[in-house]
Formats: sequence, structure tokens, C-alpha cells
Amino acid sequence: MLKVKELSKNYGDLVAVDRISFNADKGQVFGLLGPNGAGKSTIINCISGLLQPTSGHASVAGHDVVADGKAARQNLGVVPQELALYEDLPAIENLRYWGKAYGMRGAELESRVSNVLETIGLGDRAKDLPKSYSGGMKRRLNFGCGIVHKPNLILLDEPTVGVDPQSRSRLFDMVEAERDAGACILYTTHYMEEAERLCDSLAIIDHGKLIAQGTVDELRSKLGARDVLQLSGSFPIKAIRDAIDGLVERGNHDLEIISQEESSVTLSLSQASQHLPAIFDALSSAGGTVTETSLRSPNLETLFLLLTGKELRE
Amino acid sequence: MLTSLRKDLARRRQDLLSAFIWIAIPLLIGGLITAMMGNDVKPHGVLLMVDQDESILSELIAGAYTAGELGELISVEKTTIEDGIERVNDGEASALLIIPEGFGAAFLNSEPVTLTLKTNPSQTILPGIITSVTEILLDAGFYAHQLFGDEIETIKNLDDSPADAVVAAMAVDIQNKIESVTPHLFPPIIDIEIVAPPPTEPAPPLALLFLPGIILMAVMFAANGIAGDWWREREQGTLRRLVYAPGQLGAFIAGKALAAAVIIGLVGGLTLVLGFLYHGISWAKLPSSLIWISVSGVGLFAWFAALQMLFSNQRTANVISSMLLFPLLMAGGSFFPLAVLPGWIAVIGRASPNGFVADRLTQEITAAGAWSFALSDWLTVAAAVVTGLSLCAWRLGSGFARA
Repeated sequence: MLKVKELSKNYGDLVAVDRISFNADKGQVFGLLGPNGAGKSTIINCISGLLQPTSGHASVAGHDVVADGKAARQNLGVVPQELALYEDLPAIENLRYWGKAYGMRGAELESRVSNVLETIGLGDRAKDLPKSYSGGMKRRLNFGCGIVHKPNLILLDEPTVGVDPQSRSRLFDMVEAERDAGACILYTTHYMEEAERLCDSLAIIDHGKLIAQGTVDELRSKLGARDVLQLSGSFPIKAIRDAIDGLVERGNHDLEIISQEESSVTLSLSQASQHLPAIFDALSSAGGTVTETSLRSPNLETLFLLLTGKELRE
Repeated sequence: MLTSLRKDLARRRQDLLSAFIWIAIPLLIGGLITAMMGNDVKPHGVLLMVDQDESILSELIAGAYTAGELGELISVEKTTIEDGIERVNDGEASALLIIPEGFGAAFLNSEPVTLTLKTNPSQTILPGIITSVTEILLDAGFYAHQLFGDEIETIKNLDDSPADAVVAAMAVDIQNKIESVTPHLFPPIIDIEIVAPPPTEPAPPLALLFLPGIILMAVMFAANGIAGDWWREREQGTLRRLVYAPGQLGAFIAGKALAAAVIIGLVGGLTLVLGFLYHGISWAKLPSSLIWISVSGVGLFAWFAALQMLFSNQRTANVISSMLLFPLLMAGGSFFPLAVLPGWIAVIGRASPNGFVADRLTQEITAAGAWSFALSDWLTVAAAVVTGLSLCAWRLGSGFARA
């Protein structure tokens, strides 16, 4: 359904997206994971026709988004990060308007609008103006306007930013319902838990580059069973590195420094809790002082940390 | 296109207050002007006079200002210097004339004498008339001296009860002189061809001339207000969502233009109907006038929109647009009819977009029949609509909608 090949977008010397390639199929939620500024929205904008790619290609349902943009966009539904609603039109009129904008008419439109209103849980507030809605209700209507024309590919650009937990859960249900109905969904987020819950496949990007790709299980397996141990305090760089190397030589073969600064050290190793006393001894002997410790079991968040050396939400 | 039209009309229904303001302000201004001017009112001024001489001559001068048709424009009130200066400064009178003591004697003796005329700077027309009349009186005095110098000298030397024979002789002399100069002053007409003048339309009442400007004020308010909707759509994110939809831009713009025509037609139409009712204008001219202001209003809307879309934020766009709106209203005859403005200002006013529309509307409602608009008028307005909407389309396509 969606094919992205060697897609790049430059702003002068700044490379916002650097030769990204991935495919997403019908009935699949494909996640684009990365911190703010990683290039996720730029990719969405290139696919939706809002931006012209500098190089590379993207196609929707076989239609190139540049060469055959009109046909590509007919198959596309976009739920932008920012709300895009007529606040002075009732919810039902918003849905009707965007349905008509994609060519829907008559009974088909009315039936679809009615279904979408039920799906987004606004059936009883359909004739109210969005300006009287809560933030979560507006988000749901924003979602409804993006899917009212039954698109084959839905682009969801960080749809849960600023959404309360109840509305977030409802949004997940709506995304899953669209996926089950056969739509292909490209979902961008910087929340790993969302990606783990929703996405069948993922691409992790940072600084415009794709750094890992696969199913959630495939990506987890890249971590192995290693935990991530984050230590804060004071750590002489050279002495600490020597101390860690010493631990590796004494049998902790999978111990690895992910990142190291004067004030923090991040390590990965399997069954880290069993090795904590030895690690603290080694660091103390090397002149380090630990003031705070954080131990995390393997997940996508720790994978990102492992791959980039930094937190996803930095 | 119809979807976009219906959407904009539905949205506009949620903001009836704006439409009310677009109509109410021009009607309020128009009502005040009409109340002040009335339908047949002519300007009238007061000339304050301080007569320190109190001679027959000074009385004659006072009478000269109210003689004949001048009396319909000017009335003379006697006063003191202090009161006169204060009332002119307060704008209660058009001018103050001070006739000094000894004026009559000085005139008879051909001695220099000074009349003081202080005019009201806040008025232009009536003080100008009073100044002109004063200059004419002074010229008349000079020529009277040239013609009747001997008689004036005789009158000066007469005692209180001159003999009848002296008076009769002087009267005969004056009559003879008048008869001798009459052929030079009023030469006989050699050949007279009497041609019946074509019947002329009576000049329209001044208050009627205000009507097109008032209507255009409502149209301008509406056009500028609706033009701001592009920015509102951009801020709401709906323009961006529009770009995602396939091939919707042209229909969207056309729908907005149609919605503008409907709203401006309603706003302008209501002011038109009220104006027609008040002034008793023939209803046959209503359709042509309504179509004219609706189509012209779309042109104004398109250009306001194109202008607003050039700026980087909504606030700047609003400020610049409003800064342009009021000078245009001023120049285009919304506060003073173009017909009563000085010539060069009226030329500029008629060249302004709203002035052009108001001028042709004035022509239509004061013409003998309906549909007095020339083809070139319609073509000019059509060109404004097309170029304005094309600019909007260009701006939407060149990044305004995507931002």
C-alpha cells in the first residue's frame, strides 16, 4: 500500500530526512518512531504531498505521490498533529464537508458519517460546535475527519499529543478498528508504549536516518535479554572506562558502555541486578561516585537508547 | 464548489454579530448624515457684524450680504467684537465683519479705511462666499467713486436740509451719467436666437448623494471581514487539510467567492433597500444596483484577501488591511460624496476601487432609467474579480495553505 524508497528531504544544508526506505501493507499499523525533530513529520508531509521530496520516491496504492499526486491523495487520509477542524461548524458538518471533499455523496456519505460519529464516540454531540468540545473530543473529531472518506492509507502524525488517557485509549481502539477494516496505517509517535501496543512493524529514526526496522519482536530480539543500567553522579572518563573493561575481562562479556559522560554512565548487560555490587565496587575503585541508579528491562525504549545513546524523549 | 459555498455560509451563520456590525455602522453614519442634511437642506451660514460706524453706508453693506439669493445662504447678526470672535472660534458663525467707526466719512472723503473680516477656518464654502461678496462690495465702492465723484462731493458739503432744486439737479446728473454708461455696461444684443433649453433633471438632493458611499462602506466592511477568513482557515488548519484532498483548490476558491457574493449581496442589499425606501428611488433600479455591488464586492473581497495573504501573520494582515480600509472609505466617497469634493480629490476618489463602484452606483440611482452601467464598467469589475482570485490561488499554491 505504501512504498517509500530512498526518500530524502533537505532544507539547504540541513538534511531533515536522509534516504529513508520502508514499506507498509494493508491491514497493518506501521510505526515511525523517533524523538521530536527526528524527521517523522517531514516524512508524513512528503507522503501527503505537503512537501516535495528532494530525492527518492513514495507511492500510495501504486501512485507516485509527486507524479500522480491526485490519485495518490485520493487513497490517503491524514490526521495531522495539529487540529484541523472548522470550530464554527457542527461536528457532523465537519465530517460531511471532508467526506464531500473526497467525492462522497448521498446515502454513502450519510451512512459513513453516521458510522464515524459512532466510532469516535461523538454521536450524541454531533450537532454541537467543536469549540464547545474538550481537547480529547476535538482530537477524536480530528481523527474522524481524516478517515471519513474510507482511505486505504491513513497517516497519523503523533495523534495522542496532549490527549488525556481516556481519549488516548479510545483513539487506540479507533486505529485498531481501521486496521481491522483493512486500512494501512502509518503511525508516528515518540511514545514507545504506543508503538509496542499498536504497531505491527516499526522503523526507528533519528536525525532523519533510519536506524532500525522490523516487527516489535524482531527489534526486541536485537537487544537480546540485556538490561539497561543508567547511573548518575561523578565519573572520571578514563578511569571508569578502564574499570568497565576490567569487569568485561573478568567474565561479564556482554557488559557494554552505551554512553559515558562526566556526570552519567549508561551500561547494558544481561541480568544486571545480579552484577550491581561488582559494578558499584569497580566504579568506586575508579574514583566514581554514584548518586542515582536506574535499571530498566529490555523494551523499545531501551533499544532506542542502545542504538542512539540517548533517551527517546530527549 | 457548492460544498465550499454551503460550508462558508453555514459558518457565517455562527457569526451574525459581524454581519450586524457591517450593516449597523454604515447605517448609523448614514442616518446621522441624512438627519443633518435632510433631503432639501442648503448650507446656511451666519455672518456676525460689528457696526461701529452705524452710518447709512454701513447699513447698506449689511443689507448687501442678504440681498436676493444670498439671503438663502447667509444671515447677518449684529454683535460685539468679543462675542463675535468667541462665536467664530466656537464654530457658531461663518465669519465676523468689523466696520470701524468713521467708515462712512472715510468713504465719502476717499480716505483709506480698513474693514476686518475674520472667517471660520473649519468651514470652506460659506466663508469663501462671504469673502467674495466683501471684495465685490469694495470694488463697487471704488467704481461708485469714479462715476459719481462730483455728486458725492456735493452730498458731503450739503447741510441738513438741502433745497429741492439742488436735490433735483443732482438726481438729474446721476440719471444722465447712468444713461451714458448703460450702453457700455449693458451693450445691446445684436442677434438673439432663442433656443429652448433641453429639459434638465433636477439636481439630486445632497443626502441621496451620500447613499452610494454608505452602501459601499457596508460592502467594504463585509469584503474585508470575509477576506480575513483565509487566515482563520489557515489558523484552524483546515487549509492544510484541504491540500491533502485531491484537486480541491480551484473549487474551494470559487466556493469562497460565491459565498462572498451572497454575503455581500445580503449586506449591501439590505442597505440598498433601506436607502431606496428612504429616498423613494425607483425599484426598477434595485436588481441592477444589487448585482453591481455584489459583483464589485467579490472583486474587493478577492483583493483584500490577496493582500492579507501576503503577510506573515494574521495580526499584521489585519492591521495593514484596516489601515488601508479607512483611507479608501474616505477617498471613495463614503464620508463625503464624490460630487461635493474638490475636483482633484474627486478624481482620485473615482480612481479608487470603491470610489469607482460608488460613482457608477450614484450614476445608476440618479439616472432616468435602470441599467445605466456601461459595458466597460462591467468589464473593469470582472477583471478585478479574476485578477484578485487568481492572486489568491497563486498565494494558496505557493505555500500559504501549507504553512
